Amino acid sequence: MAQRYDAIVIGGGHNGLVHAAYLAKAGKKVVVLERRHVLGGAAVTEEVFPGFKFSVFSYVVSLLRPEIIRDLELPKHGLEILPLDGTFTPLEGDYLWRMDDHGRSIREIARHSRTDAETYEEFGRAMQALCRFVRPILSMLPPDPGKPDIKDLLNLLFLGKRLKNLPYEDRYNLIQLMTMSAADFLDQWFETPALKGTMSASGIIGTFLGVRSPGTAYVLLHHYMGEIDGAFRAWGFAKGGTGAISNAIGSSAAALGVEIRREAPVARIIVKHGKTVGVALESGDEIHADLVSSSLDPRMTFIRLLEPGAVSDEFLEEVKHYKYRGSSGKVNLALDGLPDFTCLPGNGAHLRGAISISPSLDYMEKAYDEAKYGAFSRRPYMDCVIPSLTDPSVAPPGKHVMSCFVQYAPYNLKEGPQDWDRQREAFGDTVVDTLAERCPNIKKLILHRQVMTPLDIERITGLSEGNIFQGELSLEQLFFLRPVAGWARFRTPVRNLYMCGSATHPGGGIMGAPGRLSALEVLKDWKRGIA
Amino acid sequence: MSDRQDVVILGGGLNSLVAAFDLARAGRRPTLLERRPTVGGIAVTEEIAPGFKAPRLMHLGGPLRGDLLADLALDRHGVTWLESPVLMAAQDGSGRGLVLHRDPGKSAESIAAFSKKDAERWPKFEETVGRIASAMGGLLDLIPPDIDKPAWKEVFPLLRTGKKVRDLGRKDLYRVLRWMPMAVADLAAEWFESEIVRAALASRAILGQAAGPWSAGTAANYFLRAAQDPRAVPSVKVPQGGLGALTQAIAAAAKAAGATIRTGVEVTGIEVKNGAVQAVRFARGDRIETVSVMSGLDPKRTFLNLVSPVDLDPAFRKKVQNIRARGVTAKVNLALGGLPEFTAFKGASSGAAADGGSPLRGRILFGTSIDDLERAFDASKYGQMSEHPYLEATIPTLLDPTLAPAGKHVMSVLVQYAPHALREGDWNSRREQLGDRVVKTLATAAPNLPGLVERGQVITPKELEDDWGLTGGHLFGGEESLDQIFTMRPVLGWARYRTPVRGLYLCGSGTHPGGGLTGANGRNAARALLADRR
Repeated sequence: MAQRYDAIVIGGGHNGLVHAAYLAKAGKKVVVLERRHVLGGAAVTEEVFPGFKFSVFSYVVSLLRPEIIRDLELPKHGLEILPLDGTFTPLEGDYLWRMDDHGRSIREIARHSRTDAETYEEFGRAMQALCRFVRPILSMLPPDPGKPDIKDLLNLLFLGKRLKNLPYEDRYNLIQLMTMSAADFLDQWFETPALKGTMSASGIIGTFLGVRSPGTAYVLLHHYMGEIDGAFRAWGFAKGGTGAISNAIGSSAAALGVEIRREAPVARIIVKHGKTVGVALESGDEIHADLVSSSLDPRMTFIRLLEPGAVSDEFLEEVKHYKYRGSSGKVNLALDGLPDFTCLPGNGAHLRGAISISPSLDYMEKAYDEAKYGAFSRRPYMDCVIPSLTDPSVAPPGKHVMSCFVQYAPYNLKEGPQDWDRQREAFGDTVVDTLAERCPNIKKLILHRQVMTPLDIERITGLSEGNIFQGELSLEQLFFLRPVAGWARFRTPVRNLYMCGSATHPGGGIMGAPGRLSALEVLKDWKRGIA
Repeated sequence: MSDRQDVVILGGGLNSLVAAFDLARAGRRPTLLERRPTVGGIAVTEEIAPGFKAPRLMHLGGPLRGDLLADLALDRHGVTWLESPVLMAAQDGSGRGLVLHRDPGKSAESIAAFSKKDAERWPKFEETVGRIASAMGGLLDLIPPDIDKPAWKEVFPLLRTGKKVRDLGRKDLYRVLRWMPMAVADLAAEWFESEIVRAALASRAILGQAAGPWSAGTAANYFLRAAQDPRAVPSVKVPQGGLGALTQAIAAAAKAAGATIRTGVEVTGIEVKNGAVQAVRFARGDRIETVSVMSGLDPKRTFLNLVSPVDLDPAFRKKVQNIRARGVTAKVNLALGGLPEFTAFKGASSGAAADGGSPLRGRILFGTSIDDLERAFDASKYGQMSEHPYLEATIPTLLDPTLAPAGKHVMSVLVQYAPHALREGDWNSRREQLGDRVVKTLATAAPNLPGLVERGQVITPKELEDDWGLTGGHLFGGEESLDQIFTMRPVLGWARYRTPVRGLYLCGSGTHPGGGLTGANGRNAARALLADRR
């Protein structure tokens, strides 16, 4: 006898959980089906080596929507964000260390360039003005330019009016940001290579684009959009690792009545007479519901889980055009002590922030050049953090965990993605070597090493091609084009099947916005009696 | 002398000539001043060796906008058009040849040797590009709208073009929106699987741009060019005598309409008083008073070299400084003692054009995979010239034997990437090296070519800047990237050919709709000036 629910949510990542919680909050009976034994998708904490807990994939938080934190009472469910203080860029014989203390950052930048220090403040002001403009878009339902309705037109009018009211300088900056490359944009403002290199990094994280690729400037804004506890521009760790965020959302959802099933992989979505009626689990069980929301990416949802013929060939063609191209890997290190940087020895506060291997725009772009032809970067861009300094609970006393985000590690190797099984350790060695050039003691400190290639990310989390954002955040895959033009509003060509993951507007990162926005749309349909 | 009817036009490029023609026809008295001995700008045909005439810079382009072409009545000024049924030929690394024709069916036959699937898709692609590009064509003739206070007169043409785009249907509309920001490599890969076909499409998007096929936004470059010439592969149509004959004929038409054209005159400054143009100054110290100046020079040269900083709002000047104009194209012209023999196109072998004529009458592409083109681009990002450059060559004498002594030929080669700002050495010391690399690359497909070279000429981005006055050596007055087109060309808020200096207008390819020798910029700018009745 099949069980019945109002809604089934496929995937227990943070968006799936947020989505389920919002539906349950509206009184719906919801079940979340997670394939793994742990909740969170790419936002998980796992004890990979005894005593060492890693945020295995995603590792920092900045854009989690404040309304979600409020609505789901996440602090009550254990969410605590610890500050991630500053960014430290080691250089040959020198360093660039930007701190959250604004005055000190300015003095530090002035050490490299006086004009850059002056510009830095102006730049920050310009970015914040734009953040205020862009922020509402993150919480907005994308319009459909193909068949605009009254509400869309009003929304567009509203956007248009706000754009018009934006002072000329801001508008100029906004248009540049939307279309330029991070490198070209930063070149207009700054001259210090390390400053430009490090700032440009936020433009390429998780994408298969280089800092000189147009369209990468926009993501610079995200760096200024962090809103933890209302504070503009702060990045942080979750206490207990990134998994703690998922657990807090899961706990909140459970308290609202959501049933969460782990180790319950879905085999297919059941469609009868053009209408979604439930899912079949790999175990053979069937679960029925009025509707199904998939937090998986379009390839998984429409190609893997739907039976052939459920959607038109034309739609499938568009789904196939959607680009993933995972470009990053993750190396997690269990350390016997703290790394000692040649350029700034000792265990100072510089280790508490992000450590960025990004000495110049050329360094960043060269890393990309290799990836274009199907090889991982011999000298990659890296963003490393040592969360155990801020949150000692994640490592045994005196020991540390170091998490290194590495780019570029293209999923599509020249020899094919499966070759990652052969190149995995070489990739890990490259990462360690790159670090060792700056902190030679690191090799001796490494107790354990976990190397996550894009292939591993795909295998473990189910993210196609290991793309951490469920599909590239490039201009042609944003807003009303995400994931498929005409289908950017969480609905799908199959009745009662919805999308609620990062592959929908406004995209990836631990924001929760897709999960929430899609839930609001589902509830609207319910009210109208459509779902 | 200063009369409201007088307009001084700076630079004698194609768009300046068109503006002179239009202004003269409207009853103004334009005086066009060109620094070089001949007008034509980057579209000039000149002798490179006794008896050999070559397109100094651009070898193909256009077509001129339809209405303009009709108004110019160029046949009255001696233009005889020559058009090739062959559009492009390319030979891949293994010596196989691809020939693309005007006739999609014939192109498909040649493509089939590389991929049956691609051959099947080709006609559909041609049709799709033709449909979308034709709908976009109207955009070229628009004065970009003023976002703040759109004038009703200008809203209608915009709506008309908008309607044309909407009439394409939702599927095409979504396509347009999705394709524009994409890399042309992705666009080509969505349609075709063979590298040579992908490269053939991509080459059109990257010519003259500081971008490679993997640069995001190059699909928009592809469609910008396609909007000018709505077919999948650009057409090959030039007047007898080359593009230089075209610009000479337009100059003749402008003179006939009443314009004055003076060559060998260098303007060194634009004098401004109370925010309005007062005069232009010459190198020799004299000046002409005028209230209207139309500059066909690029925006950076116009504002940074000719207008004094005290006469410009510093914020505007900063934006002009920020315009990216990184020239990456060089030119090599060769006088050849005979016709080079391409391995893939020997005699009347399978590679021959369908009409029995030479398959080399159109563009000849060197760089036959996306990776080849991208690698060539990579070097330029770090200030180096490409080890294996991407080349777009033509042999103009195949279409027009009058350009060389009987039995002899000229070859015209656009070379990428040759960055204006070299990181090591300078162009004076590395000019020869560039020429050698080009000849070496040509020889990979036509082994007998080096032996045929009687005379060679290398024009680097430095000469483009020094001799032609193109800032950064950029052929199109600034890159045509997403942030530098339409309402943002040359600067957001100043895309309507007018400038912050009253009476100063821009009409070169640094304005909408960019380069490509369509004449649209000159015509739109003339319209803008005439609309400002003062």
